[in-house]
Amino acid sequence: MNPAAAAETSPAALDEPLRARRPGPLRELFRFRQLIQVLVVRELKVRYKRSVLGLFWTMLNPLVLMVVYTVVFSTIMPTTQKNFSIFLLGGLLPWIFFATAVMQGITSVLTNQDLIRKVRVPQAVFPLSVVASNLVNFALSLAPLFLLMAVLDQPFTRALFFLPVGTLIVALFTSGVTLLLASFTVFFRDVRHLTEVFLQVLFYLSPVLYSLEQLQGRDQWWFRAFRTALDVNPLSYLVPMVRDPVYYGRLPALPTLAVASALAVVTLLAGFRVFVKLEPRHIHHF
Amino acid sequence: MRTGEIRIEDLGVAYRLYREKVTTLKEAMVNRFRHLRGSEQFWALRHVGLRIQPGEAVALVGHNGSGKSTLLKTIAGVLSPSEGAVDVWGRISPMIELGAGFDAELSGRDNVFLNGALLGFTRRQMESRFDRIVAFSELGDFIDMPVKNYSSGMQARLGFAIAQDVEPEVLIVDEVLAVGDERFQQKCMARIKDFRAAGVTFVFVSHSLGPARELCPRAAVLHHGRLEFDGPIDAAWEKYRELERGPLPGPSLQAGP
Repeated sequence: MNPAAAAETSPAALDEPLRARRPGPLRELFRFRQLIQVLVVRELKVRYKRSVLGLFWTMLNPLVLMVVYTVVFSTIMPTTQKNFSIFLLGGLLPWIFFATAVMQGITSVLTNQDLIRKVRVPQAVFPLSVVASNLVNFALSLAPLFLLMAVLDQPFTRALFFLPVGTLIVALFTSGVTLLLASFTVFFRDVRHLTEVFLQVLFYLSPVLYSLEQLQGRDQWWFRAFRTALDVNPLSYLVPMVRDPVYYGRLPALPTLAVASALAVVTLLAGFRVFVKLEPRHIHHF
Repeated sequence: MRTGEIRIEDLGVAYRLYREKVTTLKEAMVNRFRHLRGSEQFWALRHVGLRIQPGEAVALVGHNGSGKSTLLKTIAGVLSPSEGAVDVWGRISPMIELGAGFDAELSGRDNVFLNGALLGFTRRQMESRFDRIVAFSELGDFIDMPVKNYSSGMQARLGFAIAQDVEPEVLIVDEVLAVGDERFQQKCMARIKDFRAAGVTFVFVSHSLGPARELCPRAAVLHHGRLEFDGPIDAAWEKYRELERGPLPGPSLQAGP
């Protein structure tokens, strides 16, 4: 029997904190799961160190957004959409989660290069911990959202119980994209700038400020082109994961849910596989 | 294959080097992509074969740039071999750089858990070690101060205190004993001897004969990425001195594929 295999399957070897012999990338990542937790806590601790209001700042940002949008769209530019600020935030919060995690995560391998040069860790923990800390921020920003919903008489429906599932789907997709781009950025620093520009365009090509229904029934060619772009944009399927339960008080349509779940799983698998494949070469390109 | 064994077979580690010098417009355009081709390679190690039995202690000796640190990093799993193979059976405690991964903003306490997590330990595993680690580091109440307020000696003490408490089966030490005051160095040395007595495999990089001879009966001499000698430490030191007296060619570059 292959001695290496024997060492890997013996029960004692499974809890070994450190082995140079590389186990499968997933098991390796699982063994370092607490590192992700520690990195997230560190990120929050360092961010709010010596700040009086601490975690409240995380909630303040969306809170201010909400107040501004509510005022703007109820008085200055009234829209026909009822409770437009809830509609908007239902799309904006998942977008901010996605875009912020990607932009922060994209440089996470590079910024931790000193560590990667010295300690043997599965490098995926760095982008993943960025996604995780932004997930915490997203969860915290739901508190002011619910507050606003109560103030504006937006009904709380049972569909809200779907929110954890919807959030998970968005988080998995975000993780896949972040892993992929974080690795590419090591080889091409341009990826970061390219992504920044691309995300700005993507924001307007995603149904955040408007709904897909608003585009129905218009037949000019540019609307058709626009709709095609929306059809192939993953965000068109991911945004409803949060907005539908929050604003419409309903579950996302089944086809949308199916596409979103498939996108999340495929993106994560592809991102993780590419990342693990390129990971050993990172150190030569720092 | 037994726990604590290290097997290195025909190991080669290549670094890619790229020159930044650009003279023509064409080069300026092409050079933007050449970092991906890795057109020039520098072999920091090549054709190195070494077997270390469980419980053995080996000193790595060689001039600056001979490949000692590269070999150590490859054993630790930080670098992957470009060719050949490195197999290590057992838990490694890499004391390559003490306190690597410390976050200066966080307290010593938080850094113990951060460092533990970097070594693959759970929070609970670190909690049971925490008091021992603090006691060994002799930091006392400083443990709750941010690490940025530590002296370099204090940082090294905390780093060593963490690294010595992971019950390693393979211990790799890269001249970390040069930090801290003399008394703490003695304490580290005593701790390493404990490990040696307990049968821990030990790989040690040193520039001075004293500590190397005290800890390791065997030594491997690296010279420009090649393993020139492997045997008893005194003979190895002779060989090392002899190689150093000889002509020292600068590191040479080889065109890659």
